[in-house]
Amino acid sequence: MSKRRKPNSAMLRKVEGSIFIAPWVFGFLAFVAFPLGYSFYMSFHQVRITVTGVQTTPVGFQYYREILFADGGLLYDDLFPFLREALVMIPIIIVFSLLIAIMLNLKFYGRTAFRVIFFLPVIFSSGQIITEFISQGEGELSIIQNLRIDSFLAEYIPASWAGPIQNVIGSFVLVLWYSGVQILIFLAGRQTISASVYEAARIDGADPWSTFWKITLPGLAPFIFLNVIYTIVDLFTFPSNPIIGKVTTENYGVSSALAWVYFMIVLLFIGIALFLYGRVNKSMTARR
Amino acid sequence: MGKLARLRMRLLGREADRGLLFRLFMYVLLIDVAFIYLKPVFYMVTTMVKNAGDLLDPAVIWVPSAIYGGHLAEAFRMLHYAGSFALSSGLSLLVAVLQVLSCAVAGYAFARLDFPLKKLWFAALLFTFIMPPQVTILPSILMFKDLGWINTVLPMVVPALFGHGLKGALFVIIFRQFFGTLPKEMEEAARIDGAGAFRIFFRVMLPISRSAIIVVFLFSFVWTWNDAYFPSMYMFGASDVPLSVGMAKLNASLSMESDQGGLRVFVEPLKMAASFLIILPLLVLYAFTQRWFVEGVERTGLVE
Repeated sequence: MSKRRKPNSAMLRKVEGSIFIAPWVFGFLAFVAFPLGYSFYMSFHQVRITVTGVQTTPVGFQYYREILFADGGLLYDDLFPFLREALVMIPIIIVFSLLIAIMLNLKFYGRTAFRVIFFLPVIFSSGQIITEFISQGEGELSIIQNLRIDSFLAEYIPASWAGPIQNVIGSFVLVLWYSGVQILIFLAGRQTISASVYEAARIDGADPWSTFWKITLPGLAPFIFLNVIYTIVDLFTFPSNPIIGKVTTENYGVSSALAWVYFMIVLLFIGIALFLYGRVNKSMTARR
Repeated sequence: MGKLARLRMRLLGREADRGLLFRLFMYVLLIDVAFIYLKPVFYMVTTMVKNAGDLLDPAVIWVPSAIYGGHLAEAFRMLHYAGSFALSSGLSLLVAVLQVLSCAVAGYAFARLDFPLKKLWFAALLFTFIMPPQVTILPSILMFKDLGWINTVLPMVVPALFGHGLKGALFVIIFRQFFGTLPKEMEEAARIDGAGAFRIFFRVMLPISRSAIIVVFLFSFVWTWNDAYFPSMYMFGASDVPLSVGMAKLNASLSMESDQGGLRVFVEPLKMAASFLIILPLLVLYAFTQRWFVEGVERTGLVE
C-alpha cells in the first residue's frame, strides 16, 4: 500500500494528520501539560495569592517530607484503608462485571429488559445520588449481617485487612453499582470474538466450560486489562475518595505536593496491573 | 470434585446457554442484581411522596397511603430548579456535542492518520487518561482566574472543544478503538477517487460511526450532568450553579437545619425528592436513547 505512494503524497498525509491532531495537541499543552508543570513547580514552593499576582517562595522538598514522613495523618490514616479497600474491590468488580456481561450476551427471554436495567448504574453512579444511596444504608446487604460474616472474618484475618474486607462486604451493593461501565466494556469486547470460533469449537466437541477458559477469557484479556485500568482510575477519582477532599485552594503548595504523591500511587497501581497483564499474556502465548 | 464436575456438565447441557441448571442460576443472579439496582429507585420514589403521617407510621414502608407532592415542590424551590436545570442541560449538551466532535477528530487521527511524534502523543493521551484531575486542578483554577473565566461555564466548555475536559481522553480512546476496527477499503476507495482526509472523515467515516457517537454522547452528557467536582471548583462564587452542585448545597443546608433542631423526619424525603429531580432528566433521556445505546455498545467493538 505504501510502496505505490509517491513521496509527496506521504508528505500530504502527514500534513493532513497534523491538522487533525492539532486541536487535541493544543488542548493537551494548554489544559494538561501546562497545569501539570505548574503544579509540579508549586509543590516545591510556598504559594501566596495576592491582589497583584502569585508569589512563590521555594521550600525544596519540605512539603513532600511533611506528607511522607512528618505528618502521617494527611496521607496514611485516610489513604491506606482506602487503598486496601480498593485492592479488594478491583477484583470483585472485574469478576462480577465479566459474569454479568457474559450472561447479558446470551440469548434468553427478557434480555432487552435486563440490559436496560443493567445500564442504569452508568447513570447513577457518577453523581451525588450514589452518596445519597450509601447514606441511607442502601449499600448494605442484609444477608451478610444474618450470616455473621464479620465475626468470622475478625477471627481468621489480620485486623489491618479484616476492616477493609468488612467494608467491602458491607458495601457490596456499592461494588455492584460501580460496575456499570465495566459491564459495558465487557459487552462491547465480547462482540469482537467472532461467532465462527465458537462454532468451530463446538464442532470439535469442546464443552462450554473449556470454551469459556480457552476462547472467551483469552479473547477478553485486553478488555480485562482495560477494565482494571478504568476501575483504578475511576475508584481513585471518586468523590468518596478521602484524598480528593484534601486537595483544596487553602494551601496551594501542600495540596499540589499531596496531589503528586497521590498520582504516584495511582501510577504504582497501574504499573502493577501492567506488569501482571504482561506476565499473564506471556504465559498465555507460551501455552498456545 | 470429579463427580461434581461430571454432574455439572450433565446439567449444563451441550451448549453453554442450554443447560437447565445454568438457566436457573442465570435468572436468579440477574433478577437479584436487577432488584439491587432498582430498589434504591423505588425507595427514592416512594419516600418522596410520603406525607408526614406516612413518614411517622412504621407500618408504611413501601406503599404510601396518599401521594403527597409537597416534598417535590420544596426540593424544586430549594434547588432553584428552573434556572439550574437550564444551566445543567445547556452545559451538558454543549460539552457532549463538543466532545463528540473533537474526540472523534482526534480519535480518527490516532487510528488512521500519520503525523509527527505520533507515539509520543499517544503516550500523552494515555497519560491524560490515567491522571487524576486533582493533580492539575489548582493551576487550572489560577489559569482560568487569569483568563477571567471563573464563575462561568467556560472552564468546562473550552477544554471540551479541544478534546479534553471531563474524561475527554477516554472518549478519544473509544473513538480510536472504533475507527481502528472499521474496514480500510472504504477509505482507500474514497482516496483513489481523490478525496482528502477531511472529505473522507466528514462524508464517509462520521456517518457510519453513529453507534460510537451515541455512546460517547450519552457518556459525556451523563457524566457532565452528574459531575459536581469541576463546577464546585470553578464556579464556587456563581449565583447559578448546575444541579449537581445544587444537590451538595442542599445537603449542607439540610444537615445544618437538622443540627439546629429542625424536623429530622422531613430531611430524608426532601433529599430523595431532590435526587429524583436531578436524575429524572437523565432517566427520560436514557429511556429515549437506550435502544440505540445498547446497540451502539455492541457495535463499538464491531468486528463480526
